[in-house]
Amino acid sequence: MQPFDHVSATSAAAAVELLQQGGPSGARVIAGGTDLISLMRDRIQSPRLLVNILPAAAALRYLRFEADGALRVGALATLADIERDPHIAARLPILTQAVRDAATPQLRAMATAAGNLMQRPRCWYYRGEFPCWLKGGDECFARDGENKYHAIFGASPCVAVHPSDLAPVLVALDAELTIAGPGGSARTLPVERFFAPPTDDERIEYRLQPGEVVSEIRVPAQPAGARGAYVKVMDRQAWAFALVSVAAQLSERDGVVERARLALGGVANVPWRVAAVEDLLTGQRLTPALAAQAAERALENAHPLTHNGYKVPMARAAIRRALLAAAGQEE
Amino acid sequence: MTSAESLIGAALPRPDALAKVTGAARYPADLVRPDMLRLRIVFAGRPHARIRRLDTAAALAHPGVLAVLTAADVPYNAYGLIDADQPALCQDVVRFEGDRVALVVAESNEAAEAGAKLVAVDYENLPAVTDPRAALAPDAPLVHERLGTNLLLHVPIRKGDVARGFAAAAVVLDGEFSTSWQEHAYLQPEAGVAYMDDAGRVVIETAGQWLHEDRRQIAEMLRLPEDQVVVRYAAIGGAFGGREDLSVQHLLALAAWKLRRPVAIVWSREESMIAHHKRHPITIRCRWGAGSDGKITAVEAEVIADGGAYASTSAEVTKVATLFATGCYEVANVAVDGRAVYTNNIPCGAFRGFGAPQAQFASEVMVTRLAHALGLDPAELRRRNIYREGSVEPTGQPVPEGVSAAAVLDRCIAEARARLGYGEPRAQPADPRIRRGVGIACGIKNVGYSFGYPEQATATVELFGVAELERAQVRIGAADVGQGAHLALRQIAAATLGIPPERITMITDDSSEAPNAGSASASRMTLVGGRAVRDACLAAREQWSATEEYHGMATVQFRPSATTPLDPVTGAGRPNYSYGYAAQAVEVEVNLLTGQVRVPRIISVHDVGRAINRQQVEGQIEGCLAQALGYALLEHFQVRDGRILTPYFSTYLLPTAPDMPDEIVPIILETADPEGPFGARGVAEMALVPLTPAIASAIHDATGVWLTQQPMTPERVLAALDAVTKRQ
Ligand SMILES: Cc1cc2nc3c(=O)[nH]c(=O)nc-3n(C[C@H](O)[C@H](O)[C@H](O)COP(=O)(O)OP(=O)(O)OC[C@H]3O[C@@H](n4cnc5c(N)ncnc54)[C@H](O)[C@@H]3O)c2cc1C
Ligand code: SF4
Repeated sequence: MQPFDHVSATSAAAAVELLQQGGPSGARVIAGGTDLISLMRDRIQSPRLLVNILPAAAALRYLRFEADGALRVGALATLADIERDPHIAARLPILTQAVRDAATPQLRAMATAAGNLMQRPRCWYYRGEFPCWLKGGDECFARDGENKYHAIFGASPCVAVHPSDLAPVLVALDAELTIAGPGGSARTLPVERFFAPPTDDERIEYRLQPGEVVSEIRVPAQPAGARGAYVKVMDRQAWAFALVSVAAQLSERDGVVERARLALGGVANVPWRVAAVEDLLTGQRLTPALAAQAAERALENAHPLTHNGYKVPMARAAIRRALLAAAGQEE
Repeated sequence: MTSAESLIGAALPRPDALAKVTGAARYPADLVRPDMLRLRIVFAGRPHARIRRLDTAAALAHPGVLAVLTAADVPYNAYGLIDADQPALCQDVVRFEGDRVALVVAESNEAAEAGAKLVAVDYENLPAVTDPRAALAPDAPLVHERLGTNLLLHVPIRKGDVARGFAAAAVVLDGEFSTSWQEHAYLQPEAGVAYMDDAGRVVIETAGQWLHEDRRQIAEMLRLPEDQVVVRYAAIGGAFGGREDLSVQHLLALAAWKLRRPVAIVWSREESMIAHHKRHPITIRCRWGAGSDGKITAVEAEVIADGGAYASTSAEVTKVATLFATGCYEVANVAVDGRAVYTNNIPCGAFRGFGAPQAQFASEVMVTRLAHALGLDPAELRRRNIYREGSVEPTGQPVPEGVSAAAVLDRCIAEARARLGYGEPRAQPADPRIRRGVGIACGIKNVGYSFGYPEQATATVELFGVAELERAQVRIGAADVGQGAHLALRQIAAATLGIPPERITMITDDSSEAPNAGSASASRMTLVGGRAVRDACLAAREQWSATEEYHGMATVQFRPSATTPLDPVTGAGRPNYSYGYAAQAVEVEVNLLTGQVRVPRIISVHDVGRAINRQQVEGQIEGCLAQALGYALLEHFQVRDGRILTPYFSTYLLPTAPDMPDEIVPIILETADPEGPFGARGVAEMALVPLTPAIASAIHDATGVWLTQQPMTPERVLAALDAVTKRQ
């Protein structure tokens, strides 16, 4: 690990200010540190200044339902906080499901919700000592190398997948981020748009301006009777990143789908929302046949690599299961 | 008097257990003191290259760095368990990613790390050969130039006439199987300390599997007499074969000896993963024939093991895999060719099972397939061919006495019928995505060293007391790698002497204080070490009874009946002196949509000769099954072009508690081994042998597809299911 300075911030605004002192690329927020520390230890990232925002917990660690039913998640709420919250379990069980399957109890106790969205890919070339494209190199080694965990969608030069369980669920819930910026400014941004595939100029999976700090995740009130389901397929029963995951959120009226959201994890650089399927489902009765048709449609444009073709049938199966579960049906 | 009967088999509690679960036990990393110099190894980081120049000036200039040791500092720069072909520090060529190039000695860990980054090595990359078949091509790049070939060993075994055997067969089936590397993943990564003691000896305190072999290799490297080197073991956090080869011990010794100061090293998990040897990836192509009477008539097989960059124990592992290409079945006509091959991959060596799991993945699946082809119950076909007293091994000699394979199989089938409904139509879960299946497999593994390798254990027993024995001291240099060897040996001594176990002192962990018991490996310590302790107890007791002295003492070396090397042309010989037999029945649930396989129940039947401590035997079976389950389903060590992609437990997936079966039924049979103490043989490796083929058969039972690649991960299950669907 490269030596670095460490300062504490007791609010989002203070963090923004301290980040600016560190210069554009030399400073980083550290929250739970569960991802950042291992990236630093392996010298994949070497910030010179760490701005620790855990001391801002009094202001930024909360879970609150508004009167209108919207849920506000402070940036520093941990995955364990979400997992244990009885109101979330009752009103947005899809969120509980997502965090329950993420990482381990120890990690969930440290991992923050905001940090979870900004964790970097688990691609073994990225994590290992390989100068790959995402780290500023010329070549994506996974594309023609070992890619069984990699993407089946997307056009980025990088074929790593987004590892977060929270991200696809937040996309399916139309969640928004509140982002604090220099000079006391604040902006809001749909989670879906926060994510963007890495490009030549910005080799990262999300877009944050220098000096910005995520202060809150807001999940808007869901239509009455809306239901969701999160399905995560893993190599083993616990403590594994998703091979494929599916977040499905449906609102129905009189047995007909009024609004549908479908987002996949583990298949692209970013949570992969499948609008075509949402359109297909809207106005229909969700039957096993329709779920199967939706699953087919969702994978229509998949282009698997050499070793991850299995993700296509796996994702289809998970989509069917998630849609039917969201509709309260058994497969 | 404590009766022998009540002590043998008794589930005495482990004296070390409390300290281990409370954190009080001292493992090698706990021996590091702040005043010790810290070491950091500079690894090659590339599979194959020539070292053009190595410049240590910048590293030496870094504050806190005291020395950078290189090949020039090593008196005899070659080590290894069988062949001394591995340089302690590379001089001219690096042959795998984890090859050691230089050793930085510094006042702190941070300085050592910074120093290691500053060691400038100018490499000329050489073409790497990372596929064992490609490595055998005539124009392949050579891993060891001086050998002129990448073939490390060819071992042929010939018995009878395979052409005649196949001609007589009613069915002939071909198969191809492949396995990947496996990481030992012991809880405690390599660590240790070394210093010069007041007598001027080099003392190394670490973890390992064989005090006296570590000492021999270190003394040879330093060109010192063996009595100038002392190896001591702290608490050992698991080994599984992974501590048989030297990892940090010799480099600790080198630095302490050079600098005459205490030194310490603690590897990170990644260093451990990249630098210590692994289980061999093996591919097996085979052909099996059987008559309509269910007798196997012929087996032909080609076994190719990727040995990686250095010899380690590749030759021995490959011989074991070749011998077990026919499993525990008597086959009249056999032609097997085993080859171990050098590549620029990570070296492979000992790992629980030592070649037997790979070989019997193939043989057990083939036997089940033959049964299906003949319309026979797989258990019945096994019965008709399984080793019995007097059966002849492929190497032409009778199987060592005490053959219990059939009894183990029969018990397993009886349990499987009662508990898993084996042989009845399978009740399927209501959920149509989940298919349930049941599979069985047998396993055989030698206890002790094979093929003429010198086999012995020595113990010294001292007795104290006048009219009655008061207490005893047992000296035996036997590593307790976590399996409980020290308690088992103590129980054997107590039962032999008729005194309570707490009145026995065990001296076991110092090469200068305890005699050589051989390694804690090959499931051998209870049999060989235990017999040495028992014989020494009997001799000491006799001597003590014959005098009026307070003190009696005897040193006894036990050597089991001899084995022989295999004939280089026919493979004829006596490979082993004792076998452990196992049989397993498993139930699986395959998720047809995701390819995930769950194993709700395992029945694991073992003949252990005699359980010295029943609880420890069950612990070995259950612990081994966790490792076996990981091997069968999860653990996928990925290497590409000689670079390890899975040096982390986030991508090298070990089983977690929820992955374990809901129920494990360990069943212990006791058919005495003629040579073992109280009839004991060994158990440590046995449960690993049948599990992969048992699960493969159960997956086939559930879905109709055969998996032939280990591990059987969801993507492979899905691909196999997909291939069948496409064919239909
Ligand atoms: C072994 C292991 C297994 C895991 N398994 C899973 C899994 O199954 N599913 C899953 O979803 N995740 C998994 N994770 C990832 C884990 O959930 C994330 O590492 C964690 O959520 C990150 O949160 P953190 O607070 O520790 O972030 P940190 O490591 O502190 O930070 C991560 C990144 O976010 C930035 N950051 C953090 N907070 C803010 C903020 N408020 N504003 C701006 N930038 C910020 C940091 O600068 C840094 O770049 C696993 C991690 C490990 C180590
Ligand atoms: S997938 Fe992305 S992270 Fe992995 S090697 Fe390619 S560019 Fe690097």
